[in-house]
Amino acid sequence: MSKTIVVIDDSESIRELVGLTLENAGHTVAKGVDGQDAMRLFDGREVNLVITDLNMPHMDGIGVIREVRKMQGYNTVPILVLTTESQTSKKEEAKAAGATGWIVKPFVADKLLAVVKKVIR
Amino acid sequence: MNDRLIDTFLAEAHELIVDLEKALLQLENDQQNKDAISAVFRAMHTIKGAAGMFGYAAVNEITHHLESIYQDIRDCKREMNEAILRITFKTLDHLRILLQVPPAESVGNNSEHAELLQAVQSLGVIDPAASVKTKQVVEAESATYYINVLPKSNILKNGTNPLYLVDDLLVLGNGISLPYFNDLPVIDNLVPDVSYMGFEVLLCTDKSEDDISGVFIFVEDLCDVTIKKLGKGNLLKSITAEDNPWYNRNELLPLGFEAVQSALTKKNFNKTSATETVRKATAQKTSNIRVNSDQLDDLMNLVSELVTTQARLALFSNQNSSAELDVISENIEKITRRLRDNAFTMSLVPLESIVVRFQRLVSDLSKELNKEIEFRAEGMDTKIDKSIIEKLTDPLLHLLRNSLDHGIENPAERKRKGKDPKGTVLLKSYYSGANVVVEISDDGAGINLERIREKAINKGLIDAGSQLSERELVDLIFVPGFSTATKVTDVSGRGVGMDVVKRNITDIRGEVTVTTSPERGTTFIIRLPLTLSILDGLLVRIGDTDFLLPLTAVAKCYEVETATLESTYNQWVTLEGKRTPFIFLRNEFAITQSKPHLSQIINVPFDGGHVGLAVDKIIGEYQAVLKPLGHYYQKNDEFSGATILGNGTVALVLDANKLIRKLTTDIKSEIV
Repeated sequence: MSKTIVVIDDSESIRELVGLTLENAGHTVAKGVDGQDAMRLFDGREVNLVITDLNMPHMDGIGVIREVRKMQGYNTVPILVLTTESQTSKKEEAKAAGATGWIVKPFVADKLLAVVKKVIR
Repeated sequence: MNDRLIDTFLAEAHELIVDLEKALLQLENDQQNKDAISAVFRAMHTIKGAAGMFGYAAVNEITHHLESIYQDIRDCKREMNEAILRITFKTLDHLRILLQVPPAESVGNNSEHAELLQAVQSLGVIDPAASVKTKQVVEAESATYYINVLPKSNILKNGTNPLYLVDDLLVLGNGISLPYFNDLPVIDNLVPDVSYMGFEVLLCTDKSEDDISGVFIFVEDLCDVTIKKLGKGNLLKSITAEDNPWYNRNELLPLGFEAVQSALTKKNFNKTSATETVRKATAQKTSNIRVNSDQLDDLMNLVSELVTTQARLALFSNQNSSAELDVISENIEKITRRLRDNAFTMSLVPLESIVVRFQRLVSDLSKELNKEIEFRAEGMDTKIDKSIIEKLTDPLLHLLRNSLDHGIENPAERKRKGKDPKGTVLLKSYYSGANVVVEISDDGAGINLERIREKAINKGLIDAGSQLSERELVDLIFVPGFSTATKVTDVSGRGVGMDVVKRNITDIRGEVTVTTSPERGTTFIIRLPLTLSILDGLLVRIGDTDFLLPLTAVAKCYEVETATLESTYNQWVTLEGKRTPFIFLRNEFAITQSKPHLSQIINVPFDGGHVGLAVDKIIGEYQAVLKPLGHYYQKNDEFSGATILGNGTVALVLDANKLIRKLTTDIKSEIV
């Protein structure tokens, strides 16, 4: 079933790649270029999943998680963070903030979809 | 990979390299510039991430090391120095080269790359990621695990659905999940985004314990997870979600590892435990216990009573909210359903048991009639209620005799027609929905419709000029006092047979139809209910009274305004553009309670067409235990029985066909 997924990454190529992968799997994707920009996407629309990068200007991934968890109607939306293996401490921080899970970069399409499937069905 | 995306990546990477260069120039002037260090780190990080995604492994590799270095500098774990700066500048130029060609072709500047990489590494980074790479290889051997997952009550707030965890576990192998409640409050205090569930999963898998705990990687601190090995191999062989020793457990508590282990090892200790031995024995021998059929009837009766009582309990528990009572009631419901199914299968007998008699009859008769006949039986393992079989034997014998006598021609005639001199009679049985179908077919001459017509006219059953369809003609053979055999033989009686056959079959709620085609043969099709005492029905209401219509008699339901029904003068209503006669049951049953605005019309097949039965309300499907009516009601054919509903009231079971016939003949006689 088609889900609405918010993808937040300051890297255009990653954003597009993740977006395209999800769209090809039949999902609807809304994109934000950084945390601050992404806040406009939580305008009451149904969001089934948020995928966010951690390192971003303006508002980083941790900020996104904290903000989303505060929002009425979005406080139980699964949030996946895009991390790299070197960021173990970041992963912990994200989890503490309320992230559901993570995707380790680099990843292939199948792995992304597998993780997405793990948190939404 | 999409070309457009790669172009986006390259453009982005080049922009980032420009940013990098700017930041590095700043650093050249002021090595302590925090903003510049952060910028370098972020640019490295982004290039690294994207490069990995787009297959630029060399770029990914080198930026990874530099990212770590700048992270350490940013986090004040090390000092920025000239060497780092030089190497970063060098890397920058190198990155530009690497990004000029498709990733696969970057092999050419391998030596340069290796050199630079070594230089970067010589800066002395402890790479945590590299050391993790050595993973233990665990031998793949299947084992059975006990996994207790107790999500913290706030797990839902983190966006995690605990059910997916169970699904992910069960994907690893074969297993069952035994959910339990944890501190379940009464419904008024239930908070929707708080989890009150726990799961015990018994899993047989060839995956390692690491793989199992891998399922919980996102939720390590949101779940209490216990993974314990129950034993080697598959301990769950004969256990399914529906059939397990804990089927009727107390769902308010987990079972615990010890209880599960002892139950499983007991079952598996000797590979063939007591129950399994019994199972094997029963598989080899179908019946090894003889039970007085009266006792069996008693059991069925008690089960029926239990079903009724259980329905009352369910209703009561619905009206009185109590978590404890709900659990008990649901358990009783589960047990009752299984007991009922069990008891009913006990009274089912395969048709095989009567086939021997048929074989005997065929061989005796074919000698007597000087015919060559082969008798074949298919699907004789089809099971049917024993009381139905008892009542079915006579009609079947009669139909068989008919086929042998009237259907199959003598060998000479068959040869003349170009048929195999040896005729075939086939007895076939199969399930069809909630019914069992028994067919008797022969490859004989078929029923001569013209002769039926003549006979019927001679006997005064129909008028000479009446137009009858093939179907109506064939059905004449079931009319009392009809015989088509030119020579009355000893074998198939004197025409007192077919009407009795039909009556016997209708008595056990079955129906018989016949199809025939000249020179190809005749088939009698008998459709029977699986059991006599359980009826799948449609519960309807008129006024305050509930009635049950057998689901088999229901074709379609329509909603019609009551006023429309009352305003018709000839009892016809248009349904889906089709004019349909209907019977306003509330009038026929003299129910005077207030009428609803909308009435429901249930279309019932009748005499090849449809007749609508108008009721107030359709309650829904209902599985009823049929009870015979007392002898005061024996004459009321239109009611085939009664059933006790969950709330203790009695609902009459309508026999749609007889009801319509009775009411329409009443109308007819009134007109005449």
